[in-house]
Amino acid sequence: MTTPGAANDAAPGSTHQSENLLNRLRYFLKKIGWALSTILFVLVLNFFLFRVLPGDPARAGVHDPRLKKESIEALRVRFGLDKPVINCFESLNPVEFGSCSVNPLDTQFFIYLKNLLTGELGISYHTNRPVTEILAERLWNTVLLIGAGQILSILIGMAFGIFAAWKARTSIDYAAVTSSLIAWSLPTFWLGIILLFWGSANGFPLAGKATPGMSSMPLLQQWGDIAHHMFLPTLTYTIVYMGEYTLIMRSSLMDVLSEDYILTAKAKGLSTFQILKDHALKNAMLPLVTVIAINLGFTVAGAIQIETVFSWPGLGIAVYEAVGRRDFPLLQGAFLLIAVAVILANLIADLTYAYLDPRVQTE
Amino acid sequence: MRSKFLFVVVILSLILASCGGGGQTATVRIGWAGSPDTLNPGTAVLSEAYTIFALVYDTIYEYQLDGTYKLDVAESADVSDDGLTWTFKIRDGIKFHDGESMTAEDVAFSVNLYKSNPDYVYLNSYTANFDTVEATDDTTVVITLLEAVPNMDYLLSYLYIVPQHIWQDHFEAPASVEFENLEMIGTGPFKMAEYAQNEFVRLTANKDHFQNPPKIDEVVFQTFESQDILVQSLKSGQVDMITEMPATAVETLKGEATIEVVTGAPFAPDVSDVIFNQVDPEKCPTDVGGLCTGHPALRDRNVRLALAHATDKQKLIDVVQLGFATPGLTLIPDGLGHWYNDTLTDFEFDVDKANSILDDAGYVDTDSDGVREMPDGSRPLTFRMHWPSDSIDAPRQAELLSEMWELVGVSLELQAVDPDALTAECCPTFDFDIILWGWGSDPDPNLLLSVYTTDEIPNGYNETGYSNPEVDQLNIEQGRELDPQKRQETVWQIQQIVFDDVVYIIPYYAQAVQAYRTDRFTGWVTDLGKVELSDVSSLVAIEPVK
Repeated sequence: MTTPGAANDAAPGSTHQSENLLNRLRYFLKKIGWALSTILFVLVLNFFLFRVLPGDPARAGVHDPRLKKESIEALRVRFGLDKPVINCFESLNPVEFGSCSVNPLDTQFFIYLKNLLTGELGISYHTNRPVTEILAERLWNTVLLIGAGQILSILIGMAFGIFAAWKARTSIDYAAVTSSLIAWSLPTFWLGIILLFWGSANGFPLAGKATPGMSSMPLLQQWGDIAHHMFLPTLTYTIVYMGEYTLIMRSSLMDVLSEDYILTAKAKGLSTFQILKDHALKNAMLPLVTVIAINLGFTVAGAIQIETVFSWPGLGIAVYEAVGRRDFPLLQGAFLLIAVAVILANLIADLTYAYLDPRVQTE
Repeated sequence: MRSKFLFVVVILSLILASCGGGGQTATVRIGWAGSPDTLNPGTAVLSEAYTIFALVYDTIYEYQLDGTYKLDVAESADVSDDGLTWTFKIRDGIKFHDGESMTAEDVAFSVNLYKSNPDYVYLNSYTANFDTVEATDDTTVVITLLEAVPNMDYLLSYLYIVPQHIWQDHFEAPASVEFENLEMIGTGPFKMAEYAQNEFVRLTANKDHFQNPPKIDEVVFQTFESQDILVQSLKSGQVDMITEMPATAVETLKGEATIEVVTGAPFAPDVSDVIFNQVDPEKCPTDVGGLCTGHPALRDRNVRLALAHATDKQKLIDVVQLGFATPGLTLIPDGLGHWYNDTLTDFEFDVDKANSILDDAGYVDTDSDGVREMPDGSRPLTFRMHWPSDSIDAPRQAELLSEMWELVGVSLELQAVDPDALTAECCPTFDFDIILWGWGSDPDPNLLLSVYTTDEIPNGYNETGYSNPEVDQLNIEQGRELDPQKRQETVWQIQQIVFDDVVYIIPYYAQAVQAYRTDRFTGWVTDLGKVELSDVSSLVAIEPVK
């Protein structure tokens, strides 16, 4: 069969096979190398990005008569902000040179690098808690909510897309396309508030991820409570993202269904189900994988709008608040986490591509 | 598969949720749009944290909603004739929430904790004048001062009593700032039960409290990221009280039969101010980077007075605060109770009068462009007006002021500036004409009055460059006057002087806007001058509606 993109080239001969393996290895290494160097770049960029922002974390908008000059100075020492940012530069003001005679190892930049190498993300200026602890808490909340929303929207979106493509140009198809377009273009914030108003009249909790006092209850009940809190935000997320997946799945599948080999398969007398399952779907998945990978990468960044409407303590809000407070350590940690997640998701997409379409490796 | 599972779980939880809730625990659910930054009293900055501290901890003196202080863990206070030695008798039999006894040792330890940690941003400033703090026996604490002060009650009202047996391992930096204090053992009317940062704080009643045993069983503070949702949750009954709300929601809530909206001076009032650069270029602090580029007209009281007459404060209040503010006079807000000089009469809003003041003072529009010129014709009355870019209210204030002052021939160049850039152009450089800014406040007028003094130029709080030897002298006197009556007179006198000199224009003092459900709990305290329903006074007084 000359199906483009079938998993095995099934070419005979061991030389070809080892060449194939070498190709595949080279492709993997190249992709992983790219991912690693991007992460390195992000590490450096992260540090300077936030320090270019105007604003002093030791003050961060506080205009209070109780705040003494000495206290601000003590804060700056505690945060390490009294040290020069980098050799020759006290701050990141490019026209203001500082002393170049300082020990480069005693600058904020090298202390940051050194801490990173030891897996130390620092202490949040705002809460005085270790950044890793805060990120772990927030990451779990975000993954829980966005993960559930993603899985649901992918499954439902794919199913709708397949169904619409299969019934192309019927009223079912038009209904699916129209509703997907509407869902996709709904403002997240607005849909969230509408669902929230509906939910508040139907006994759904409006804020947070658990009912206070639940921690002493049996585990099953705790999980039920979290699911109860998750329902509305997950529903919002699913509706908004589902449309996108439906549309991509549908158009991609319709493309594939118009190929000659599908006609051949039909001529062989295969059932629609078999055609879809064995011949069309795998090829039609390629564009969807791209979008899913990109979206999954950003899963970690959370969904600020949904988190805000439902007061869901996720990463999105944490980052948003940290920007306002100039909480450098938390921002650096969160951005690193998000960058790594996006890069990893892309890497996985690349590798999945290679599996779905072996031609990618040789290009 | 997954969706089915989730569905089942949701249904299950619905059933469980409807089964529960029949308990007899009286839980007050409070919605707020914030969350404590930390439970460590030393490092906390946000007011939400202080709300929790006030419920879980006791202090030597307690600051009350009516602006007065009462003894809390101390049953008596004696001061030596020279005012330098204070002796406190500590009540016997007070217990920490973990069952340990609280003694004078703990009290002295706590004050010393705040005193010895310069990293403790706010609390450390209260102990600056303390020389020694000692427990001489189990029920006596002696504090000696470097200088006699009239406001010992105020200085002690934020120094929360923490248990020595827990905090002794966290006495010195960095342990003192890294300690998260999650168990939060105190002696106050409420105990910390459960804390999830940015989600909720759950407190249970300390029914054995020596002074204020609560009538309810639990308080839950639930964090909402959006104020609109906060309002909705009060309407739907998911919370019983909200500590803040958008002013736009007041009208809709007032229409609800079971909801009561309360407004008034907040517990910790904020002041908004219009800062005029009045620094004399002759006395410019050039040694610390002073530029002193202020417009010379603003150093003339006549101009500031005319601008005051040209300012329609009620319009500012109606537009910017939707009516929820009171017209301002000086930096001492009405929320500071008896320290606020309520005998002052504001300059009436009168455009004609403002115009004639400027005419008489020689500021005439010589080139007929609608903007007056300096008497010597050197430059027009065009002022730069800046405000911090993170302010929501300032842009609207600026627009309105620009319209109002145009009527008296003054033009403004409006610009939002990053808060730190603004700090830099303010002090000690004095590189501005007018800034719209504000102050947080403190129960005692001392710190806010110092903003008017010469001592605070150039590196202190003085942002106008205003310098008046009489005010300086009176401020020293009020800081030393031990007789409360006389001190109040001096504080009022200072307000009279700085008001007459039009050092600032104070547009308004914003009010607190809170609301509670009347069908759940009764006994909310709303008649003590200030409004703060999450204050101890309310939370120990309320009980379930029968």
